[in-house]
Amino acid sequence: MPTLDELAEQTLHRIHSAPDAETLEAVRVEVLGRKGSLAQLSKTMAQLSAEERASVGRTLNAAKQALESALDARKVQFESEQMALQLEAEWVDLTLPAPGPRPGRLHPITQIQEEIEQLFLSMGFTVLDGPEVETEFNNFDALNIPPDHPARDMQDTFWLGPGQLLRTHTSPVQIRGMKKLGPPLRMIAPGRVFRNEEVDASHEHTFYQLEGMMIDRDVSIANLIYFMKTLLSAVFQREVTVRLRPGYFPFVEPGFELDIQCLICGGPGCPVCKQSGWVELLPCGLVHPNVLKMAGIDPEVWNGFAFGLGLTRLVMMRYGIDDIRWLQSGDLRFVKQF
Amino acid sequence: MHFSYNWICELVDGLKSDPAELSRLITMKTAESEGTHSVGEHFRQVRAARVLTVEPIEGSKNRKAIVDAGDLGSKTVVCGAPNCRAGMVTAYVPSGAVLDGREIRKVRISGIESEGMLASGAELGLNRDQAGILELELEPAADLGCAPDTIIEIDNKSLTHRPDLWGHHGMAREVAAIAGRRLLDPVKLSCLPDGEAGIGISVEDANLCQRYSALVFENVSVKPSPLWLQYRLQAIGLNPINNIVDVTNYVMAELSQPMHAFDADKLRGSTIFVRNARGGERLHALNDESYQLNPSNLVIADASGPIALAGVIGGMDSAISPATTRFVLESACFHAGSVRKTSSSLRLRTDASMRFEKSQDANNTVRGLARAVELLREVSPGIRIAGGLADQKQELAGVPRIHLPLDWLNRKLGRRVDAPQVRSILESLEFGVEETEARAFLVSVPSWRSTKDISIKEDLVEEVGRMIGYDSIAPVPPALPASVPPPNPERAFHHELRQLVAAQGFDEVYNYSFLSEDVVRQFSLAVEEHAAVANPIAADQSLLRMSLVPGIWKNIVENSKYSDSFRLFEIGREIHKQPGGLPNEITHVAAAVYSRGSSSADHLFELKALALSLDGRLAVTGTEARPYEHPKRTAALRLQGREVGRLFELHPSLLKHGRAAILDLDVDTLYSLRAETRRYRPIRRFPASGFDLSVVAGAREPAGVVQNHLQELAGPELETVEFVREFTLPDGRRSLSYKVTVAAPDRTLSSEEVGRMRSEMIEGLRAKGYELRV
Repeated sequence: MPTLDELAEQTLHRIHSAPDAETLEAVRVEVLGRKGSLAQLSKTMAQLSAEERASVGRTLNAAKQALESALDARKVQFESEQMALQLEAEWVDLTLPAPGPRPGRLHPITQIQEEIEQLFLSMGFTVLDGPEVETEFNNFDALNIPPDHPARDMQDTFWLGPGQLLRTHTSPVQIRGMKKLGPPLRMIAPGRVFRNEEVDASHEHTFYQLEGMMIDRDVSIANLIYFMKTLLSAVFQREVTVRLRPGYFPFVEPGFELDIQCLICGGPGCPVCKQSGWVELLPCGLVHPNVLKMAGIDPEVWNGFAFGLGLTRLVMMRYGIDDIRWLQSGDLRFVKQF
Repeated sequence: MHFSYNWICELVDGLKSDPAELSRLITMKTAESEGTHSVGEHFRQVRAARVLTVEPIEGSKNRKAIVDAGDLGSKTVVCGAPNCRAGMVTAYVPSGAVLDGREIRKVRISGIESEGMLASGAELGLNRDQAGILELELEPAADLGCAPDTIIEIDNKSLTHRPDLWGHHGMAREVAAIAGRRLLDPVKLSCLPDGEAGIGISVEDANLCQRYSALVFENVSVKPSPLWLQYRLQAIGLNPINNIVDVTNYVMAELSQPMHAFDADKLRGSTIFVRNARGGERLHALNDESYQLNPSNLVIADASGPIALAGVIGGMDSAISPATTRFVLESACFHAGSVRKTSSSLRLRTDASMRFEKSQDANNTVRGLARAVELLREVSPGIRIAGGLADQKQELAGVPRIHLPLDWLNRKLGRRVDAPQVRSILESLEFGVEETEARAFLVSVPSWRSTKDISIKEDLVEEVGRMIGYDSIAPVPPALPASVPPPNPERAFHHELRQLVAAQGFDEVYNYSFLSEDVVRQFSLAVEEHAAVANPIAADQSLLRMSLVPGIWKNIVENSKYSDSFRLFEIGREIHKQPGGLPNEITHVAAAVYSRGSSSADHLFELKALALSLDGRLAVTGTEARPYEHPKRTAALRLQGREVGRLFELHPSLLKHGRAAILDLDVDTLYSLRAETRRYRPIRRFPASGFDLSVVAGAREPAGVVQNHLQELAGPELETVEFVREFTLPDGRRSLSYKVTVAAPDRTLSSEEVGRMRSEMIEGLRAKGYELRV
């Protein structure tokens, strides 16, 4: 039987020279196993005196620990070599395209509409919907445009039959909103509207508007200007300068055309603003008392403002789209850009 | 409406603003100016010139003329006009002048060097006469009496409510108020004669003709108007015709009062009738069209029948002609709605009808006549008025008065305007202002503003607001209570849907609501069930869509020209006609997957996955295919027993290349059946057990049916039935394998219990006629 020193030395040598994990394991079983050489050696301790036994025991333990840690170290080495081989074999070319469809794009009008809805929700407005086929009453009469009023010419109308039409603006939702919710009221109504117009690069028979209305006590022109300025600064993500000038819409009094200072040239004049420095953006005004009365609201107690934002126009301005017909072309080469 | 700057300047004392500034001021305070353009710049150079000699040029129809251009000396010009002759005085345009944007240069024409040109009325912008060069009654070198002018173009839409602004005097009143200048009145009422009316007037319904005023003129000479008058009309877009008609148009353009002249010798009887047309009556109108009239048309008639459509157009038979020596001049106020109805039903819009439909001021008729008398004396020397003024009128409305509390006014404006300023603004616009109580005015509205425009105090907010300038009002945040707006969960649902569909690779498109009858038939849909537009923009856009699918199909066809594979979707409304009331509008989502090469069913399963991502409870069930659906690749989608959509491959005959699968879901029903708020169920504490079953089904028996049987046969301990795999047996039948998982809430099921459940299911399946592969 070899001495402890000889056994330890031989074993260390075998651990270091083991070619693979299996050989290493065999060495561990042979030397450190329950029936291994080290166990055999320790059995001889039974013949020793207690004093000697203690001393030999310590030596034996120390040798055992040394061998175990050498074994562990060698084992970790094998494992990491193994891992390295596996990793090397698992090379992947990540520059290859990912499979499956890319997320689709939302239509630019959807995008701008949701953005503006969020903006108004944050200012305490509710979002309302109305039908695309409306009654003549809601589209005209209730908005202070009686039959044979020349203002009906301002909006060429698609008629379905007596008293039924495709709404020419989102304003009938004002009437629906006031009747449904009553004052005080803050609402917007985005949606599809129709005008019987020949289609060309800048005219469409189908387009999108966003109606807005606020009814409260003592709403002033100064309030309207504040609101429009806040809204438009948020829409254009920069401070905008607005101006009001007279505009005629039978459902408001006074009525305004709101212009913003041209965002392209900033005022001095350029082709976009036709050298005027201003771009006409939206009609607005204080709600006409007749409209309030039609919706059952007392104009001596309540008043408010209303405005109509052209979503289609806004999208065209924001993205520099030069032909309105793209918006309803269904052409994915267009939609995918947004 | 086009306004002449020079004309406005004649009516506003000491106006200083240049045309561009005036255009801006009018836009900011009155009505939208669309811009300005200058006319008649060439009149700085154009001279009267006498033609001295005219000789033919060999080989040309042009002739060589030598003219005496006064201070410019004698000039040689080549002229093609047939009326060019020695001795006449015409208009000479020297080289260097610009006519209609074109510079006149010294050029060789027909071998002769031409130093400038002789011009026609049309070339000079005086009228529309292109037949020959102008014939003048002037001395050589004389100025033509026409000055360069600037035309301010006002958007007609912004004048819809302002009958007074359809004439220069009305616009001049605005300008005078804006500029703080005095308005000059061109009308001298003293021109109107006294005495017994020169003609009888009979108005049948005073509501339709509030006032009818007329004068009769005799000893008339009909001829072209003086140049200044022709030029003025031509510059604002009115066609000079002859001196009499031109005066009626001039007064209309100045005072906004339409007028009409009838040849008195062509009229039967001695009374003008204003009445509704009788059935069967016709009018041969001045535009050479013949109109069939009905009783809703108001006409002017003589003893034998209609001679004009009231407020719209005159009749050819009584038109002023060179032979006219006597005429009746009409200046009336017709009912706005009646004129509008007639003009729109006959599709005949005229300068007169556009003004009348804005509700004209009945006080204006005699002002128009007085102004016309003065002008007619100038353009037809020797003219005489026969008899006195004929003036048939309804009691004219009194002056409306509006109570205007000044504090209320300030609250509406959102800024303070002092009482004296409010007064001065209103008075500058010729409102009457009385202070009947402290901090309130009683405001009288001038007749030309009260026909429709101004009746309530809100209307006065506009008058004050626009004149102080809206830019003088500083923005003020409204004082509002913080409140949470009422929610619109349905719209939120639509937005979520859009996001979900787009996230799975679908691009969003918008399609029109209109469909053609052809497309509807192609999809074997019933044309007559569709709501239809009575006045479509084109014959192929008359029906309102009852399905998004035809639009999606068109998108597929179009996009397949550029792309081999794509995904797209639309969320939009179907419109379903309903008996009585508005149509039913149902929001749908339609999504499509297209690819050129493959006919595999992958597209359908992709759309099925999309549908389930929108609502996991959707059941796919067999159904009868519609004509545009692939007969063997179509399923109905059901939720709580209701059909909420279709999943199908587009019938291959509808596409030239490639295949497309379509999912069409009723979003409104999906929304109404959406899952209620979810509740937590405790996580199971005891392990579940599972077993597999392989069922042999018929060759085309839907797996969904087998799965339903399994679910029904399992007892209350059933957790899930999951499809594992299928394969086809040699005889064509399909083996469908499922994993059944069972568990109890309060214990672990014993293997005996699980075995019993399995046996019961197998027996149940066998009882239904299925074979099992065990």
